[in-house]
Amino acid sequence: MNDAGSSWALAARLARRELRGGAKGFRIFIACLALGVAAIAAVGSTRAMLAESISADAREILGGDLRVDLVHRPATEAERAGLGALGDVTGSAEMRAMARATGENTRRSLVELKTVSPQYPLYGALKMDPPVARSDLFAERDGIWGVAVAPELLSLMELSVGDIVQIGEARFEVRASIAHEPDRIGGSGLFALGPRVMIADAALAETQLVQPGSLIRYTYRIRLPETASISEAVERLNTDLPDAGWRIRTLDESSPRLTRLIGRVTLFLSFVGLTALLVGGVGVANAVRAWLDGRTATIATFKCLGAPRTLVFRVYLLQVLALAGVGTAIGLVIGGLLPLAATDLLAQLVPVRLESGIFLLPLLVAALFGLLTALTFSVWSVARAAEIPAGNLFRALVAPSHGRPRRGFIAATAILALLLAALAVATASDAWFALWFVLGSAGAMIAFRLAAFGISKGAARMRGVRRPALRLALAGLHRPGAPTASVVLSLGLGLSMLVTVATIEGNLGRMISDELPENAPAFFFIDIQPDQIAPFGETVESVPGTRGYEQVPMLRGRIVALNGTRVSEEDAPPDARWVLRGDRGITWSATPPANNRISSGEWWPEDYDGDMLVSLDQRVTEALNLKLGDTLTVNVLGREFTATIANTREIDWQQLAINFVMVFSPGVLEAAPRMHIAIVRAEESAEDPLERAVTDRFANITSVRVRAALETAAALIGNVGLAVRLTAVITLIAGTLVLAGAIAAGHRRRIYDSVVLKVLGATRGDIVLAYILEYGLLGLVTAAIAAVVGSITGWAVVTFLLRIEWTPEPAAVATTAIIATLITVAAGMVGTWRALGQKAAPWLRNE
Amino acid sequence: MNDLSGADANRAPDDSTPAQPMIALSGAELHLASAGGEVNILRGIDLTVARGERLGVVGPSGSGKSTMMMVMAGLERLTGGTVTVAGEDLGQLDEDALARFRRARVGIVFQAFHLIPTMNALENVAVPLEFAGEADAFDRARTSLEAVGLGHRLDHYPAQLSGGEQQRVALARAFAPGPDLLLADEPTGNLDGDTGATIIETLFDLSRDRGTTLVLITHDPAIAARCDRVVHIRDGRIATDGEAA
Repeated sequence: MNDAGSSWALAARLARRELRGGAKGFRIFIACLALGVAAIAAVGSTRAMLAESISADAREILGGDLRVDLVHRPATEAERAGLGALGDVTGSAEMRAMARATGENTRRSLVELKTVSPQYPLYGALKMDPPVARSDLFAERDGIWGVAVAPELLSLMELSVGDIVQIGEARFEVRASIAHEPDRIGGSGLFALGPRVMIADAALAETQLVQPGSLIRYTYRIRLPETASISEAVERLNTDLPDAGWRIRTLDESSPRLTRLIGRVTLFLSFVGLTALLVGGVGVANAVRAWLDGRTATIATFKCLGAPRTLVFRVYLLQVLALAGVGTAIGLVIGGLLPLAATDLLAQLVPVRLESGIFLLPLLVAALFGLLTALTFSVWSVARAAEIPAGNLFRALVAPSHGRPRRGFIAATAILALLLAALAVATASDAWFALWFVLGSAGAMIAFRLAAFGISKGAARMRGVRRPALRLALAGLHRPGAPTASVVLSLGLGLSMLVTVATIEGNLGRMISDELPENAPAFFFIDIQPDQIAPFGETVESVPGTRGYEQVPMLRGRIVALNGTRVSEEDAPPDARWVLRGDRGITWSATPPANNRISSGEWWPEDYDGDMLVSLDQRVTEALNLKLGDTLTVNVLGREFTATIANTREIDWQQLAINFVMVFSPGVLEAAPRMHIAIVRAEESAEDPLERAVTDRFANITSVRVRAALETAAALIGNVGLAVRLTAVITLIAGTLVLAGAIAAGHRRRIYDSVVLKVLGATRGDIVLAYILEYGLLGLVTAAIAAVVGSITGWAVVTFLLRIEWTPEPAAVATTAIIATLITVAAGMVGTWRALGQKAAPWLRNE
Repeated sequence: MNDLSGADANRAPDDSTPAQPMIALSGAELHLASAGGEVNILRGIDLTVARGERLGVVGPSGSGKSTMMMVMAGLERLTGGTVTVAGEDLGQLDEDALARFRRARVGIVFQAFHLIPTMNALENVAVPLEFAGEADAFDRARTSLEAVGLGHRLDHYPAQLSGGEQQRVALARAFAPGPDLLLADEPTGNLDGDTGATIIETLFDLSRDRGTTLVLITHDPAIAARCDRVVHIRDGRIATDGEAA
């Protein structure tokens, strides 16, 4: 016998005929998929748009084809010659400084000072408001240099064009405000502590801000000839000037901080989107099961007419795929267009010229996620439907199949789930994080499934209940076909995500706002010269309301080798990369820092005078796989020092105190040019007088107001938090959709139940109370489990990823519990209210 | 009545010889496990049905009539004994082989019609032919529907047809592939008297014209009496077996 009867073509023909009935019953299926796919596509498209935008403007953002950074010192003659041999060079210096208004205006502000040469910028344009000829902008006139300032400085210090400001020891005339600085985000722009101030490089010397050890970054931007290769240029610099100790950046890392931030935020957002899709997956599974239950007679008829199991499976799989295609397509359209619609909003958050467009790769990935989710959550039901015994047609009973599908299909479901997990890991920018997410999701789904099982069993065991309404409610939780499992799973996942996000945000917010009044310093002062220590201390103590003044010497150093082996950022595990990324502050001390605890080894004697030793942060030691006795080499101002690890310290980085990853033994570093940093605690009313007293007396000392810096950080976290919260709400919407679907599926039963109850004498009130109790119990129990799962996830993220102290968030958990209960009761009641309005007679006749 | 099946070029050869019976049940037993213990549905049935014979099956509800018919269609497996249909030992075939066997040799008509609601009359009749990979499935389906007097209802969906018309479509569907055996399970149970009579008339005409073996379950003694032979099933056993009165 031929087997044309199982062919895909025939299956497609039959599937098409079946689908003529329309997508009724599939609205939730399509909505669930569309929502999840839209979330993933939108996040992916936004990430692609930002990456494309940064990449398109990479030369402008980097300021050249190549950029070389040196800390503390400018390039030597030989180094400049080496850079000059590559192409056009423009050099600049960047540092933090204080700007003071003059005359009656006593305002002052921390500023991000940048010097520019006449060739600047090599790419893009420096735009001023009002437009001023470059020759006039920074030039010295009558002994006063020109300065261009960011518009926010004008409002902050109540300045206007033409006013005079003092920076260090030099006076500057404000000639224009900066309308566009092309390489702003490639530098410190993204996390700047103060507004930008730009002066001519020739004016820097007059400020007298350049002191030994001052924290200055010298940057050289190079434009290569069009025919030159960037990698060859880098190679040449490394070969010709191996000891320069500079950091070379090329176009693909034009704005590493922004790229990293975007990567982190979109990674998190895409996981939230993926959770929405997983929640939707539960809806998909429910919808497919309900739909196939309704097709039981047709499937049995197919089999009686000689359709093999394979054909039945294909017919229904193709229909699921077609509808999944519709849901995915809707999701792709929404997700692809959403970033375009939100370009203006994004432009306010990210300081990049946005290249809007449709990005195919993220859409393709989102489509794959959608189709894989649809398949993973439906193959089981479709395979089981193919097992429906055809002989059922001979009996009055046409019951759906509820056994397990064949082993092959169970394996196929497992493989699809693994593919989904693999896709999540493969497309994430951080594979480890993604793996944890996948494992966490799987764990949460199992936990919720077990919880649902427990609720059903628990409700079934409670037999001694006398109140009829409560008895009905309990019966509703465990009767065959009850939506308990799908509601607990889908709503629970959505709520867990909400609790997780709320607890992370709450902990971050508390860290910033709660710490400040208690023990946070009011100011950090930087660039204090060694000979200014004594008078600086006197000045601070002379201002009433100040206390807790501490100062330490500080240099900048970069770890270049561990146990004699050269290392770079890429060599380190992800959670230790920050230590190897660029320069870190280092210090030396005869005594252990007061607020650190020695966790291993011993501190050196106060009069220690031997080989160089180092005390290291405990976590960093572990992350870099180091132990006591190992060596560590740092490059300080071009010189390398190797020290042996003598002890490790536990550092509480949340304390806004002066803390160093590396503290060296005294005797060696004292000879290097250094500056001191200080923290001062002060009452809020003493902040202005203190800043004035210090900056009036010491023009070179820069003050950083902790309150203002924390506000900047809080604003950034607030923006990110808003995006995350919005996306998290999508998971809740998905959960509610699934809930609505599950309740709709039981609509007929509810009508019949309420009709029978009314016939038996129950009032509407009795029935409503029973349903409120049923859904209230379901919502409350789901919320309780979600609170536990979400809190555990939040704790893990806060403790292991953000590395801050965990505090429970009872308010967030309580809000979630209330939301869950309200949503469940509301959705249940919407379905029930219609049931209550039904006349009894027709239903009784039909039955 | 016209020929319903048209050309039958693609049919697999019949393995049986003319002397062999169309159906042979030997010691057929079916026991099912249930929560209340084992249920014996068939308790050792021996029955042979000759080619072209028309067998009426009667008996009270729950006596095992439908189960016996399902065994003949390969839709239920025996727990004891053997069943051979058209020379095939159905116990030796796997589920897909049974499906292929049914579409080639067996037509089934149900009390509740069981037409596929999303397909029109023509498509409903064409389905088994499509399963068999017949290239002219729709032409033969059309011929088949014209033969039962529904040539003007080809594009109608089941919901747009009367009960009698639906059962005629089901008859056309059962006969279209030219089966050797037609199994009819109370085909008039859902129809009024006149309509039922028309359906029975058509059923007998078609089986006679095609030489199709017919097994007909019915509660109606008058319909049973029209068969060549009638068996009474009671409590899973054949109580009487003899020529129709």
